[in-house]
Amino acid sequence: MLNKDISTSVKKKEHDGKVSGQLPYISDVKLDTLLYGVLYRSPVAYGKVRSIQLPPLPAGYEKIGAEHIPGNNFVKILKEDQPIFANEWVNYIGEPMFMLVGPELDILYQLLEQVEVDIEEHQAIFTLKEAIEQKDQAGIFASHEFGEDLDVIQSIEKNAHQVIVEEYETGYQEHVYLEPQGMLGIYKQDEILVEGSMQCLYYVKNALVSALACEDDEVRVIQSPTGGGFGGKEDFPSMMACHVAVAAKVVKKPVMLLFDRAEDMEVTTKRHPAKFKYRTALDKQGNILCMSVELFLDSGANAGLSPVVLQRALLNSAGVYKIPHFHAKGYALKTNTVPNGAFRGFGAPQSFAAIESHMGHISKKANRDSIEYKRNYMVKQGDPTITNGKFKDPVLLEDMIMDLMKVTDYAKKKAEYRSFNQKSNRYKKGIGASFFLHGCGFTGSGERDHIKATVKLAKTENDGVQIKISNADIGQGVLTTMSKIVAKELDLPYEDISFPYPDTKVVPDSGPTVASRTTMIVGKLLERAAKKLKEQWQSGVAQEVIEHYVHEEMIPWNEEKFSGDAYPAYAWGINFIEVEVDTLTGNVRVEKVYGSFDIGKAIDERIVKGQIDGGLVQGIAYGFMEKMTSKSGRIQQKSISDYGPPTAMDVVHIESKLFDNPYAGGPYGAKGVGELPLTGGAPAVQAAIEDALQISFYQIPVTPEYIIESLMKKAGEALD
Amino acid sequence: MVMHTVSSYRFESLEETISQLSKEDCQIIAGGTDIMVQHKSPRGVPAKFEKPIVFIDHLKELKKIYQNNQDIHIGACCSYSELLKHPLIPKILKVAIQQIAAPAIRNRGTLGGNICNASPAGDTLPLLYIYNAKIKLRSSKGERLIEIKDFIQGPRKVKISKDEILTEIILPEVQEEGTHFVFEKVANRRADAIAKISFAGSLRLDEGRIIDARFAFGAVGPTVVRFMDIEQTIVGEAFPLDNMVIDRVVAGFDRKINPIDDHRSTAVYRKTVALNLLRYFLKKRAFKEGHRIN
Amino acid sequence: MIKFKLNGKEVETSAPPTLRLIDLLRDEFDLIGTKEGCGDGECGACSVMVNNLVQNSCLIPIGAIECADILTIDGYSKTELFKILSDCYSEAGAVQCGFCIPGMVMASAALLSENPNPTEEEIREGISGNLCRCTGYNMIVDAISLAAKKGDGIW
Repeated sequence: MLNKDISTSVKKKEHDGKVSGQLPYISDVKLDTLLYGVLYRSPVAYGKVRSIQLPPLPAGYEKIGAEHIPGNNFVKILKEDQPIFANEWVNYIGEPMFMLVGPELDILYQLLEQVEVDIEEHQAIFTLKEAIEQKDQAGIFASHEFGEDLDVIQSIEKNAHQVIVEEYETGYQEHVYLEPQGMLGIYKQDEILVEGSMQCLYYVKNALVSALACEDDEVRVIQSPTGGGFGGKEDFPSMMACHVAVAAKVVKKPVMLLFDRAEDMEVTTKRHPAKFKYRTALDKQGNILCMSVELFLDSGANAGLSPVVLQRALLNSAGVYKIPHFHAKGYALKTNTVPNGAFRGFGAPQSFAAIESHMGHISKKANRDSIEYKRNYMVKQGDPTITNGKFKDPVLLEDMIMDLMKVTDYAKKKAEYRSFNQKSNRYKKGIGASFFLHGCGFTGSGERDHIKATVKLAKTENDGVQIKISNADIGQGVLTTMSKIVAKELDLPYEDISFPYPDTKVVPDSGPTVASRTTMIVGKLLERAAKKLKEQWQSGVAQEVIEHYVHEEMIPWNEEKFSGDAYPAYAWGINFIEVEVDTLTGNVRVEKVYGSFDIGKAIDERIVKGQIDGGLVQGIAYGFMEKMTSKSGRIQQKSISDYGPPTAMDVVHIESKLFDNPYAGGPYGAKGVGELPLTGGAPAVQAAIEDALQISFYQIPVTPEYIIESLMKKAGEALD
Repeated sequence: MVMHTVSSYRFESLEETISQLSKEDCQIIAGGTDIMVQHKSPRGVPAKFEKPIVFIDHLKELKKIYQNNQDIHIGACCSYSELLKHPLIPKILKVAIQQIAAPAIRNRGTLGGNICNASPAGDTLPLLYIYNAKIKLRSSKGERLIEIKDFIQGPRKVKISKDEILTEIILPEVQEEGTHFVFEKVANRRADAIAKISFAGSLRLDEGRIIDARFAFGAVGPTVVRFMDIEQTIVGEAFPLDNMVIDRVVAGFDRKINPIDDHRSTAVYRKTVALNLLRYFLKKRAFKEGHRIN
Repeated sequence: MIKFKLNGKEVETSAPPTLRLIDLLRDEFDLIGTKEGCGDGECGACSVMVNNLVQNSCLIPIGAIECADILTIDGYSKTELFKILSDCYSEAGAVQCGFCIPGMVMASAALLSENPNPTEEEIREGISGNLCRCTGYNMIVDAISLAAKKGDGIW
């Protein structure tokens, strides 16, 4: 099939294997002499390990612990604070202390129950509130401050008509990728091979080289078909890879580590809970004079990726608005809870929920329609970013908003719902909107300084072309979209392009599969590689071309000062959501969902629609359904139904629209799409619930419990 | 290290099954949708049972639904899906069953299993309580009937002897005509969810007066609760109910319902919503056909 | 010895009766199409058909399937009806990570065989026990709706 328009959808590369169930995920792999691993996890939240007593191990069973790690006993992420096996201090309940390995899982679990550990318990920090109160003693993994001078802010506040002070909180979000985490370590004479469910092959590989203290060519990582990631398989798999690799090296047999759902929900990374404190000074007319925000992320027990998540949270703390005299400060704080990590949006969903909520509340104070109010502050092309970068490309927000106001018949609907709500006692309807953006790719100069992506295209003697990149298809369609780009550039049928699941022995490091960077950054490199290959094309000859990342000219990013262009390009979006709230139960029914997006250019319309629908549903559920809590360091919701991600019955059709706005730095003008659609779901649903009930909310998820409590409070106030 | 496996039985008839139960203390498995989760092991390890297993979901004797006078008899091993399709099953009970989990579970789970599992959040239980359902138990010594409220003792606790098996659920004197029912399940999502609180109610009217009133709440205590003393106080009242009467009834339940906080919801929420739903039902000015599932 | 029909063939096993059907399928019969997403009957990835009814194979002790007719995705994927569903899933863009899909296809097949012309609400209910975290379901709903139309008369 020759592609005419790149956006025209094609059958996905791996469709047949997936739909028939025959494409093997890691848990489907069977090997002779396969051993299983089970992890002994810390039963206490914070303490010093005094002793570990094992029951007698039957023949063929082994304990694998810190003593077996030839290299560093930490998982290489950003800081050296995440032990592979915690053998001295434990920092959260569920932290792996050692692994038992053997042929029968039944016996392994029985052995695990007989283990006795003695841990000297220390006072743990369980909540973000405690961490904020004790932040100077407890641990700050990262902090940044930027923007207007505080002296200036103070003097503006002094002369302001009023200063709005608001706090806002966001909760955990669990990925619930359908395939639980799984990793297999295979011992070979000259290498340790690790296969599994993952997003970032070279993160895993680098972690292995550090743990095994070996040469680059002594470890090899292959991605298995991966049953969903959403960030949950960005940083976490590195730890499991170290576990199975160390074990395989010791026992000289393949070792498989598979989590079951409860274990996956209790011990793997989640979206950071966050707290925001806003101070906004208004004049008499309700115009913003200045705004300052302090934000706190609950990082859990290890730094992990939290410092980078904090950056993105801060960079989005003013939303899509040009706020006069803006100041921001943020902290990633330590608690003795399960470490939080990457999750689609990476700090941005928290910040957008907070700023959209805050702007909505200010507009109410100013007695103005929130959409109209927000539009006054909307950034335009040429405006500076909050870090004094520049929005250099066209910003289509205004067009998108005008369009959706027309499509939804916004003004009429508002009036209709007001009169419906007056008549209806039990059910109340409302409509809400959210406006948002997503900076594509790594923050600042990350692509140039840290990632340095390289891609390869290999042509065989039969003139077939193979894509060699380290980016992982985790369902988002990388196998298909990358193949389409290469096929189009080479004028070859899409079927002639092969793209096997990546293997570090074969593919160069084209960077991790994160940050909505694959299509825009890696896709662009492939486009260039394909161009080059086309120029050199010699039929019947094996050829290979390589392309390296070239940094686009922008205002240089300074991480210390938090200034400059944080991203080369931005994708934009808006949502309108309509809800009906049952005032007797606080249950919310989402009735209509609209989304308009500027992602540059769609590489495959169907794939993009899939990203929009899936991301938006996750984002909406983050706003009112999905509730995860931690009590004394333990995650309380250990099953899917207790956590409550949406079923097909909780969802309605989504009316989405794309606004073409090609970006020169992306292939065919494409920007990132992975994370953007999640970001606007929660704030729009909160705004809709607020509109229905005429009550302000200050945290997400806006659960039925929170709604009922707020309705009771409102009824109480009405009585007073 | 010894792996112990338990013996298991799957007899062709109820007689043989009962005969085995008289000889040995067994774990009965009907659909297994609750019991397999309760007894599950970590991934890759078979479920663990202490007692020998008796499978009963195939027994034809336990799959009959029939009417005897005004009583509806439901075989314990009828699956939820079978109940949904059967004309004798009351509409409101179908409303509740339709909200149980999802099709795959409804194809396997049974009414007898829902009762014996005795979860305070069991979806069919509030309605069975207001139907004054009777549980028929059979052993080699004979049969006995017990009221559902006496049968269910607490979470996962039922009054059954080791040699007995639940064979039938009887809904006595079912009168759909002239009686107004409500069932509301409140949960965190619209399918595959466990009730945070559930409410079933019925009012039977005759010439503008209430002649029978029943209310039951699920997930607000260790068992489904019904307070007949409060129900009695509105028998004889004119319908629609006077606001003072409604306030009195709601206040009565307010004193008696004591839910708890857990990982699914809060005590305050459960109580508030329970009373909200009760009040809403009592405030109805008229009843119409049809039911909206929330 | 437990005897039953598996994907059209009479088979038997000496595995213990409390073993879950999913484990028997995957470990003894090497049928990898049935996936395990939760083991609690809450995700539907392990959906199979038992006597033409969709059920969660993680909740079924094999002692209960004596004489039953079990159809898994591995068998179903060799049928004509499957081809229609597969094409419609592709055309509607219903497959992302793919882990829920075999179970989703079995639930779709069960739904359509019972109700060849389902409404959107009926489709949503039919797959309400099958969790998908990638698609937000709508493209799957579209796929089933499309399959109902394309397979008109043969469901």
